[in-house]
Amino acid sequence: MIYSYNDIVISGFSAVTAAGNGIEAVLELLGSGRDALSSVPDEIAANGGQRWGKALGFRASDFMPPLKARKLDRCSQFAVGASGLALKDAGIDPKNINAERIGIALGCGFGGVANSAEFLSGYFKGGVEGLAPVLFPNTVSNAPASNSSIEHGLKGPNVTLVQRFCSAESAFAMACRFITEGRADVMLTGGADDLMPLMITGFAATGQLRRYAACFGEGSGILVLESAAHAARRNAPIKATVEAVASVGLLPAGHEQEGADRLFTGAEQCDLISLSGTAGDTPLLMQRIEAHATFDISSILGRSLAMGGTAIATLLASLKPGQQGLHLAASPEGPYYAIRFTGGTGAASTSHCDMKGVSY
Amino acid sequence: MVKKRVVITGLGVFCGAGKNVTEFSDALLNGKSGIAPLDLFDVSAFPARIGCQVKGYAPLDHFDRTTARKLSRADQFGLIAVTEALTDSGLAGHYSPFDMGVSMGGGAAGMFQSEQWLRSLLAGESAPPVLLRGVLPDKTATEIALACNLAGYQGTVTTACSSSATAIGWGAELVATGQQRAVVAGGSDTLSLLTFGGFNSLKVVDPEPCSPFSLGRQGISLGEGAAFLVLESEEDALARGARIYGAVLGYALAGEAYHMTAPEPTGSTAARVMRDAIAAAGIDSSRVGWVNAHGTGTPLNDVVESNAMKLVFGERVPSVPLISTKAMTGHCLGAAGAIEALATVIALNHRTIPQTLNFRGRDPECDLDYCHEGKRPCEAGIAMSNSFAFGGNITSLVLGI
Repeated sequence: MIYSYNDIVISGFSAVTAAGNGIEAVLELLGSGRDALSSVPDEIAANGGQRWGKALGFRASDFMPPLKARKLDRCSQFAVGASGLALKDAGIDPKNINAERIGIALGCGFGGVANSAEFLSGYFKGGVEGLAPVLFPNTVSNAPASNSSIEHGLKGPNVTLVQRFCSAESAFAMACRFITEGRADVMLTGGADDLMPLMITGFAATGQLRRYAACFGEGSGILVLESAAHAARRNAPIKATVEAVASVGLLPAGHEQEGADRLFTGAEQCDLISLSGTAGDTPLLMQRIEAHATFDISSILGRSLAMGGTAIATLLASLKPGQQGLHLAASPEGPYYAIRFTGGTGAASTSHCDMKGVSY
Repeated sequence: MVKKRVVITGLGVFCGAGKNVTEFSDALLNGKSGIAPLDLFDVSAFPARIGCQVKGYAPLDHFDRTTARKLSRADQFGLIAVTEALTDSGLAGHYSPFDMGVSMGGGAAGMFQSEQWLRSLLAGESAPPVLLRGVLPDKTATEIALACNLAGYQGTVTTACSSSATAIGWGAELVATGQQRAVVAGGSDTLSLLTFGGFNSLKVVDPEPCSPFSLGRQGISLGEGAAFLVLESEEDALARGARIYGAVLGYALAGEAYHMTAPEPTGSTAARVMRDAIAAAGIDSSRVGWVNAHGTGTPLNDVVESNAMKLVFGERVPSVPLISTKAMTGHCLGAAGAIEALATVIALNHRTIPQTLNFRGRDPECDLDYCHEGKRPCEAGIAMSNSFAFGGNITSLVLGI
């Protein structure tokens, strides 16, 4: 599928990552040639030597009252924090906007799993008496989006998607449609993921540590999508314009080239490409873009299922006005996404093309 | 842009109330509930020990041993329902695989298997890692795409109990806008200790079969299953001579931004979503003949949904039945919206409003027409299906024939 747009802009973005809070922290890290990965303690990764991108600098109480923060799972805290930063970046005070016209579409990888494991552990250790009802509401994947809507007063469309390494991209595609259909004037979108020790145990058991991840990461990257008309009415800075969203679910044997053709329709000209998920590990995709400047933030922040939001925000912060950007995301067995942007007048002037350690 | 009319050309279901469309239709139209004592896992320590389990399920009746081993119970249910729907549609060979997608809603997904792995880990025992493969609901969509060669859109909505209703609305949107020629849309979810223990810990599970909108109701009965609809544009369906069961006329969704577990008491957001869905369908509310409620049977939900109905239909509300099929199917969480959408389409085709089972007496706070007395004939060709969820996620679908 491919859908072209000419009426959606991005007026703000932000991220909470192992690099710190805000997209500037990611940009600075990219420019430094270093990474924000730390060693996974040996008691968690028994074979040792693993690194992960824990958002160690994130304090939920910086973004919400401490008592409220205690009720939220870590993934929700990330989403609430990053959403608040992105709204601020866009110059939007939710109190000054019709709450029913602003919504959220979030990709969420493992959100809810941490609470699920803790809740179930209570049962396995203590039977029915060990069940903690306070944990159960946040076992659902939509807790981060819903908690963000509660904290920021977003009463428009509210949806969470999980689709492997393209979870945030799936949410992005839907958020764009919601604006085009007139269901909302403003949509927050992106991804959120948290990383807990038990997940490393699970990844190790299923062979994922070796297969896909030199390291796993966590955090949240949020974009503020807005109808061009709405942004114009409030004189919002235009960080970028959405050009098209293309996706295929599979690249079936014998039909790989056709799938890639559909994915890359109209994407021949681009100045900078963001890679996410397993796009960089997919030869068919990489062959198509080998002459272009690319970067993959998972190498400095760790990889997560919902990293797309942070990757797109980094791409947009790097595009100069008028430059063409492509966000390319893939999962091991699909889906695949190619999302095209044009840098806007309000975009940052820094280009990642020159940055150390990010070109492939 | 003129949107295409989206029609339903295939139906598939596998749940505790019926293991195919024929069985499910019989249960729906004749008031047969699948709620019974559970034996999928040990429930002896819980106050409620019933639910709508797919009893006697044997994976090897449907899959070879190798395939069955790598699929979670939710993956298996989803594949069974999708296979029925695709076979029913006669879709094979009509479109490029890239023009066919899967839009599904999930919930606890493979948690039933994953929690066995966790139990073993905590006990210091070894457990096969394959138990973890389905911990996220997106695996079901991927398995469906791989098994059915659907190379187009692949996405999974996870908004708890409204997941699969949204997935159907979104699937219809992909077809209406020409992004896909066909979409298999629905949901799959299965019983697990996580959800059974969770809802019990919140004390919202009725120890008796749930009795939506009745006096003395104490909560939900949990269920499991999968349901999928095949969606195509009307022009494509007519061109290939497909049987058309009905149409997805419109949908709407929103977040209440109120509370993670408690619905906003006035029902104002639910009413807004219903109104928006009706508007998206391009019709007047007077054309909605009846509503398939979320209707969980919890004391609060049923009052709030009744309040929302009054806000939407005003003086006409006494003549708009609000029914719940959850006393038949149990609350199938991530699959609930799809199962209820499918039930709505079947009922519309039979010109029948299904009965809301297990009436225990009239609740003064639930003062609408809930069809407690029995099914009834209805000539209306349009109905609405509501789904509410944890987090205040609300979705309404408007379906027609």
